Amino acid sequence: MNSWNPEAVEAILFAQGIRLAPGRAAKIAAALNASAGLADPMLADLEFEADPTSYGLAMRRCVAK
Amino acid sequence: MSAAVDFSLEACRERIARWQPRVNAFVRIEDRPLGGGTGPLAGLPLAHKDMFYRSGMVSNCGSKIRRGWVASETSTALERLDAAGALQIGTLNMSEFAYGPTGHNEHWGDCCNPWNPEYITGGSSSGSGAAVAARLVVGALGSDTGGSVRLPAAACGVTGLKTTWGRVSRAGAMPLSHSLDTVGPLAGSAEACARILQVIAGFDPRDPITSREPVEDYASRLNDLSGLKIATSTDWIARHADPEVASAVLAAAKTLGAAETEPPDFDTLSAHCITIMSSEASAQHAPWMRERPRDYSSAVRVRLEAGYAVPAAAYLEALRLRGTWLERFCSRTLAEADLYLLPAMIVRIPTREQTGPRGGADMPRLLAGVTHLTRWVNYLGVPALVLPCGFDSRGLPIGLQLVARPFAEAALLRAGHAFQRETDWHLRVPPEAG
Repeated sequence: MNSWNPEAVEAILFAQGIRLAPGRAAKIAAALNASAGLADPMLADLEFEADPTSYGLAMRRCVAK
Repeated sequence: MSAAVDFSLEACRERIARWQPRVNAFVRIEDRPLGGGTGPLAGLPLAHKDMFYRSGMVSNCGSKIRRGWVASETSTALERLDAAGALQIGTLNMSEFAYGPTGHNEHWGDCCNPWNPEYITGGSSSGSGAAVAARLVVGALGSDTGGSVRLPAAACGVTGLKTTWGRVSRAGAMPLSHSLDTVGPLAGSAEACARILQVIAGFDPRDPITSREPVEDYASRLNDLSGLKIATSTDWIARHADPEVASAVLAAAKTLGAAETEPPDFDTLSAHCITIMSSEASAQHAPWMRERPRDYSSAVRVRLEAGYAVPAAAYLEALRLRGTWLERFCSRTLAEADLYLLPAMIVRIPTREQTGPRGGADMPRLLAGVTHLTRWVNYLGVPALVLPCGFDSRGLPIGLQLVARPFAEAALLRAGHAFQRETDWHLRVPPEAG
């Protein structure tokens, strides 16, 4: 995966109308690169059909009987 | 609710007059209390985080942007407390827009820890933690999106309940991250939290995510511990927590007869929580971030800026995985238990200077240590109770955390009450200055 750089962060925020405080782009790029290295071990088993509403069904299944 | 403390209105006002200059817990003190009347909480003095709206009254939300903003509706939680006869004697300090874990606030002044004002209260419900600890009120409402009820409870040595997502209405409460936001009480004991939760829990047509799951009788079953099993991960705590924290928490585990279980994947769950929180908070604040970004503190502005760089696919992936992780927690960590026991924080409480605008190189590690064990709970959406289980060598509280299945608040409160019958940590009051 390509890593974030400050220019990319600035561009993506600029496109959303957000002006970054000075010096922030580099910090945000570093934080994004650090979190991008975390791979979720459950991702490989995630069902194709799963969507965010699956959480509501899981909650009902997990309520103590 | 605490036999040793006089919670008459006059006594609370006297204590507020003495403590407010030292801890800055209140944003506003009412000349005449709001609410009152008959009901299960009749006459009890409460105060709430300055983000629960009351029609015609100001909610500043800890911010410069909403300074002086007058609400046009009353939050469901406040309506229910009013109907139960509780008094509201003021509004409480908080982190700016509830988006900070320490209690710093450059717009309204830092809220300071009653045990030692040099130390953080925890946030974002900083005033709630400080006011309850100094016995300025019987209890207070807070909100918890990544730890904002539990961190102030831990740092200030009081009892705080993060409720199941959907157990308590957020209608009329300032939003931060709608997939994670919860409302819960802080008070001097599990018993007091149970009495407040009893009043505010339950379905609300004004908040469509509230559940129709039955509200249990929290207060009357507090002494029923039959069949309640608790599990912990001793090795993980011993390896990762500060030695003084580990010692107090593992002693509490022994008191509660905890068995062993595997820990959740805190790193992955916390990362998902941050992805969701930062995406939703940044979307919520987009108009102000475009028009008046300089009106945010530097710390909140950088958190919001980061949220605009989170890919939509990553946000949705975190939400798609949420149910899978919840079922894994319930089927593995809670396979043989009802409750999971762990510290509230892995570090001892840091100072305000260490974690504030002039914080040094150690600040990232300290802040990570403060929040490492709370955010994963919000990602799963399950309830958790924090209560004091000791004091460190500097005289500051150490917080114990218990986590349960969805809607198992009753089990948490029963275990908390049992622990507080065996110990007296929750009865200790910070010494008054001078």
